[in-house]
Amino acid sequence: MKMSLLLHLFSSSMEGFFFGSGKAHVVTGVALVILAGLALSLWRMDRRLSKMEDDLNAPQS
Amino acid sequence: MGTGFPSIMKTAIAVANMEWRLEWRQGHQLASVGLFAVASVYVAFQAADRETAAGAWTAMLWLVYLFSGFTAVGRLFDRERSATRQYLQWAIHPMGLILGKLTHAILTTTALTALVLAAFVLFLGWPSGLETASKPGLLILSAWLGGFSMTTTLVFVTAMASQIQSGNGALGAVLGLPLLLPQLILVTRLTRGALDGTPWGMLGELPLFLAALSAGTSVIACILFPYIWRA
Amino acid sequence: MNHWNRLWKFGSLLLLAYVILRGFSTPLQPGLVEAEPNSLSAGTQDISFVAVGQPFLRPGEGMEAFELILKSGTALLKTELTSVEAHRVSATIEVPTTLPSPALDAYLFTPSAGTLFLGNAFFVEDAEKGPLPSHLTASIPQESEPHLGFSFPYQPNIMESIRNLLWHVPMWFAMFFVMGIGFVASLAQLRTGNVNWDHRAEAAVRTGLVFGILGLITGSLWARWTWGAWWVSDPQLNGALVTVLLYSGYMILRAAMGDDDRVGRLSAVYNVFAFVMLVILLMVLPRYTESLHPGKDGNPGFNSYDLDNSLRAVFYPAVIGWGALCYWIYTLRLRMNRIEYRLLTQ
Repeated sequence: MKMSLLLHLFSSSMEGFFFGSGKAHVVTGVALVILAGLALSLWRMDRRLSKMEDDLNAPQS
Repeated sequence: MGTGFPSIMKTAIAVANMEWRLEWRQGHQLASVGLFAVASVYVAFQAADRETAAGAWTAMLWLVYLFSGFTAVGRLFDRERSATRQYLQWAIHPMGLILGKLTHAILTTTALTALVLAAFVLFLGWPSGLETASKPGLLILSAWLGGFSMTTTLVFVTAMASQIQSGNGALGAVLGLPLLLPQLILVTRLTRGALDGTPWGMLGELPLFLAALSAGTSVIACILFPYIWRA
Repeated sequence: MNHWNRLWKFGSLLLLAYVILRGFSTPLQPGLVEAEPNSLSAGTQDISFVAVGQPFLRPGEGMEAFELILKSGTALLKTELTSVEAHRVSATIEVPTTLPSPALDAYLFTPSAGTLFLGNAFFVEDAEKGPLPSHLTASIPQESEPHLGFSFPYQPNIMESIRNLLWHVPMWFAMFFVMGIGFVASLAQLRTGNVNWDHRAEAAVRTGLVFGILGLITGSLWARWTWGAWWVSDPQLNGALVTVLLYSGYMILRAAMGDDDRVGRLSAVYNVFAFVMLVILLMVLPRYTESLHPGKDGNPGFNSYDLDNSLRAVFYPAVIGWGALCYWIYTLRLRMNRIEYRLLTQ
């Protein structure tokens, strides 16, 4: 389902220069990869901070 | 320690008076800034000789102003570091203090701008080919306006920098320069216009903007100063 | 991370993924870019137009549905279309010796893309000023409603780079938003002296600075593409650069003060100063000056783009997505500040 949605987004019959050269796919791919990397690091930082806060709030004996 | 407006004004005048008298007695400080300024102009003269375009003339003028200004204003709050002075601070209304310091600084930089401008015209002459086109009156106005706006911002920044115990002298310049950029952009454009005879229609709003910007920054600086100064 | 937090954080990431996918995959509406040859002389001439965006011809359309009219002053000059390809339109025209104006604008009437316009497409050399001969005058054809599906508007010069609107503008919005938080925090810090406000201010400025720098970079890239230069001396750009420098000064001030007790108060004073300058430089001054940067005489933003509905459908999510991401980064930094403080004062 997702694949066909993606294909539909990219292969509409209205194509301009941007797509004919295939550059659009590369740019989108790179942007998504960067977003994923950013998301991952933010999420990890968030988890780590939460853990630290929990440790501080419930002090170890 | 009254807090009404008249007492603030009295304090300001007293502070300015004191600064001026101290400066006069320890004449070497004023003179050293003057020397620095004239020497810089001389370097500029050596580099450019008398054939300078309006753009280069403006650039050198304002760079010399900038650095002389930093030097002149940078020492403004040095005297306040000693213990005696810190005690005195409790007795003086901060608004009066800043106004007094500001007045003194403006007087100093006015003298400085006159000196630098005179030195420039003396050594470098007028930008090539523009003797008839330039507007000397506008040039003097732009030099003074620029000096005024530069001073108000720098006094504020120097006050801040002096509060930082561990700070070096350069912090005032580092913080001050970005704050000065908008004013410098406006005033260099105005100076250049005065030199190459640009019609008033294209320059008209610049002094207004400049004056408004300086007024704005001085007002905010005076309002915020008491917060910096609370020991 | 409770459920509500997880929701908006993950949601912002999803929004941004949507913005990236849709933003890059949506085609551009067609637009006339260039006319060849630029200068014409009297007599029969061959001309052609190059275009970008979606192709002129849709399946099932023929050349008969198109019409090309050139405008000289207020008079309309007929043309004879010779071919319509995906991104090129060719025609022959008969240039008269007398014209109301030597500059010719071009209007291409298309069946599905509406009317395309190219200003000052041609210059006629050695044209005498006079009325257009009647046998060459055209009448205005029926303009058709464009039906282009989901597509981004064509703007001359900008063309495909309009997609940058989804990055550059939301980043500046995010910066304003988070610097506003910092401003309020600094005011509160000066009023109450509570160190909590100082944590908020530092986190806000730090995050805002990142987005400001990103805004400058995306803006510079856009400038290179549309204006041909990485930077121009322009009130809006100068204001943006000075703002970033000011807030960098804030970070330097904090660094220089180190562990001094008065860090909170002094940096709050500086922050208040910097924010007021930001408002003056980026919101007040640009309204009164001319500038290359879009959005003067009114909103220092982007009204001149004439956001159409397709663009809005991706732009608003972009603003929300980037704003939420910025806020997330701000909260992370804030929590870090708080934890650091607790560890130091234990």
